[in-house]
Amino acid sequence: MSKYYLFQDVKNCIGCHSCEVACKSNKDLPLGPKVCQIVTIGPRMVDNVPKAAYIFMPCFHCEDPWCVAACPTGAMQKRAKDGIVFVDHDLCVGCKTCMSACPWGAPQWNPEIGKVVKCDYCKDRVDEGLKPACATVCTTHCLHFGKTDEIQPIRRERYARAMASLE
Amino acid sequence: MEKGTCPVANNVRALSAILAEGRIPVARCRQWAKDILRLMTDLGSGRGGPEHFHAMQALAKRLQFEGENEDCAALGKKLISELQTHREVFLSHLETRNCPLGDCIELSPAPCQMACPSGIDVSGYVTLIGQGRDDDAIALIRKDNPFPWVCGLVCTHPCEFMCVRGRIDKPIAIKDLKGFAAERAMSGGKYANPQKAPDNGRKVCIIGAGPAGLTAAYYLALDGYRVTVLESLPMAGGMMMVGIPRYRLPREVIDREVAMIEDLGVTFRYNTRFGKDVTLDQLKQEGFEAFFVAIGAQASFKMRVPGEDDFPQVIDAIEFLKKVALGEHHMPGKRVAVIGGGNVAMDAARTCIRLGCEEATIVYRRSRADMPANPEEIEQAEEEAIRFDFLTVPIEIEGSDGKVSGLRCLRTELGPEDESGRRRPVPVEGSDFSIDVDAVIPAIGQAVDKSGFAPLTDLGWSRRNTITVNQASMETSVEGLFAAGDVVSGPATVVEAIGGGKRAAEAIDRYLKGIPQPKMPPVPVRRQRLGSLEVPATTKMMLNRPRMQMLGNDRRRVTFQQVELGLSEKRAREEARRCLRCDVCVRCGKCVDICRNKMGVDALQMGYLAFDEPGHTDFRVAAERCILCGACAANCPTGAMKMEDRDNERVLTLCGTILNHLELEYCRSCGAPLGPARYHDFIRKRTEETGFVTGDGKLCIACARKTTARAHGEVVTPTPPV
Repeated sequence: MSKYYLFQDVKNCIGCHSCEVACKSNKDLPLGPKVCQIVTIGPRMVDNVPKAAYIFMPCFHCEDPWCVAACPTGAMQKRAKDGIVFVDHDLCVGCKTCMSACPWGAPQWNPEIGKVVKCDYCKDRVDEGLKPACATVCTTHCLHFGKTDEIQPIRRERYARAMASLE
Repeated sequence: MEKGTCPVANNVRALSAILAEGRIPVARCRQWAKDILRLMTDLGSGRGGPEHFHAMQALAKRLQFEGENEDCAALGKKLISELQTHREVFLSHLETRNCPLGDCIELSPAPCQMACPSGIDVSGYVTLIGQGRDDDAIALIRKDNPFPWVCGLVCTHPCEFMCVRGRIDKPIAIKDLKGFAAERAMSGGKYANPQKAPDNGRKVCIIGAGPAGLTAAYYLALDGYRVTVLESLPMAGGMMMVGIPRYRLPREVIDREVAMIEDLGVTFRYNTRFGKDVTLDQLKQEGFEAFFVAIGAQASFKMRVPGEDDFPQVIDAIEFLKKVALGEHHMPGKRVAVIGGGNVAMDAARTCIRLGCEEATIVYRRSRADMPANPEEIEQAEEEAIRFDFLTVPIEIEGSDGKVSGLRCLRTELGPEDESGRRRPVPVEGSDFSIDVDAVIPAIGQAVDKSGFAPLTDLGWSRRNTITVNQASMETSVEGLFAAGDVVSGPATVVEAIGGGKRAAEAIDRYLKGIPQPKMPPVPVRRQRLGSLEVPATTKMMLNRPRMQMLGNDRRRVTFQQVELGLSEKRAREEARRCLRCDVCVRCGKCVDICRNKMGVDALQMGYLAFDEPGHTDFRVAAERCILCGACAANCPTGAMKMEDRDNERVLTLCGTILNHLELEYCRSCGAPLGPARYHDFIRKRTEETGFVTGDGKLCIACARKTTARAHGEVVTPTPPV
């Protein structure tokens, strides 16, 4: 895994898709590719109330990525200093093997340039000390970006509170 | 190909760079610049319309005069000056949809079209013939050449020398296909003239009814002019009629194509020689406003050897062929020597055989390889048992009592190269010998007979005694007088004369309408963008250039029957399928580079793409190795390489050649096509080391994401124990 972690607090996400818009705008993408995507699960009736979950799907920046192994041209790479997996457009020829190899559907096709695009945690922004575009615009602040060792124990605390409320 | 030479491509590159570097920060100005870039890109890719140029000019002006700051104004000024300086090039891209330098890659023209002196859209008509649309093919050819049938029989086909298919095996039989389609269209009654413009009442006079004159007459008549053609002979056709023998070009062919031109309202005045029967001033008084001189090169060069003028049996080839064409079928002698190695010499010798001469010998001072005649003609002459005396130069015509008895010759050796790039023949001292002949036909070259033009003192002549013209507009030094064909080029080919005639017609139209003449030579026009004929790779490789059916040799020795019997329909349609469509595929080699050097698959064996050193080509290799990843298609700049899914298969084609097709696998969740098993095997092998993936990997990316998201979504905070 990369040095960074992009955590979505699913409970707080309202599915506004701001993250998707900011991402596409930052990467100047046409219709089609969704480098990050909010996938809606549901709605489903829970205790007679319709409920839906909005799952944020970026790239997971695997420790040992299939896409990098699959890429025949060396365009798909894992950055040594922080483990961010990214695609070098100068080397990408558009064979789409990374797209087929990824079990999570992270690499996307940009028909305008005939090359693959994927989430790279906005590495240019990260290098400047900024957060990725998606995390910057999140209206409910449910997207948290940081180093793996700095992540807030949100879920753990929430569970603890729920346990405590029983008493 | 030299990069950065076409002003259109240059400006597209420069403007893209300026915009990419963010040098126009004001949004309004940036939008104007972006619009100009879009228009210019359209223009450089053949999608531009007639208003594109003016729209670019208007936007550039706004940039200059309404721009927010100096940078905008400077860019506007620069663009206006670029558009002005290269106006002709920009407009030519719009009109011809060809970029002669190939710098605008989508407008890179096919080599065959660029090689054709009359600029025919060869790939277009070859494809139409492949589709069985012979009459459409003829209509397409006649946009650039009103004599598809004549050219289909006698053209020297420079296109075939440039044909890219020749680097794989043999060039496409372009000439024969044209002849095939013309004959079919004519006999089917579908050889039609295009719509003529309304009569504009203005009169143009054409001097000479040869290929150049008739071509100009055709295009001027179509433009609505009243055209009159003067001809010294009693029939039209010029050298096509009296120079080319009937066994190569039947009279009916010329007559039918000339009739099409007559049908447009062109008037002919036969038996009328300019300068003798009628003068320029008389013609001007008749109301002719422009004149086109296309009198050809009808005079013969002299050999300048003793005895040349002493015997009636010494008859120059032009005169001889003309007499035979006009019906004088007399044998010049039993044993004839024809001097020269060009097409006229071949024609004269082969005509002698048909007239009953026992022996015809071609005497040529250089070697066989140096002969300027067409290879087909030399071959056919050899089949007809013409004798050849190479490296031989005549020095005297011998005879007595007004009768030729022999030709005294010297042997030659080839010395150093002369200015024509051929080795100069040097006579060998003391090698003289005699050939027993009773007639001699010199065919050593022609010159212009300028006798009728003596009163035109202002007319400029070159040192070679041809009329000097501006090559772009065919204007002579006399106002309103244009010239083209052999009278300008010296003796050349039918198709060159046709090209000149077409250029002159355009120039005469401009002259009479008061439009300035172009400065650059005309660029051939891409007439149509046609889809490719679909051919399996094996067929593409296996098809051979058809061998022309020939008249039997016995017949050839006694009649003037046409020697080349034409292609059968089946062979013609098949031949069209061999075409590589170089109007679409520009042979940049990107696909091969990516497949071999980037992907490591090496499925594209296309050695013909290398111009200088063509390697081995075999389209069938793709079916064995190609994984159908589509990288070649994704990077093809012109869309020649295409990958599509149809009928349960993923198919890769290059200009219609089916390189590979494999059965598709589908997403097990939504049924979307994923790719063939070979593609997935390729990926599996590469990712084996990475680790085990749950599932079978048969999910499309959308479903893969959804499935993962669902797995995450199901992780709800566990309900605490009650």
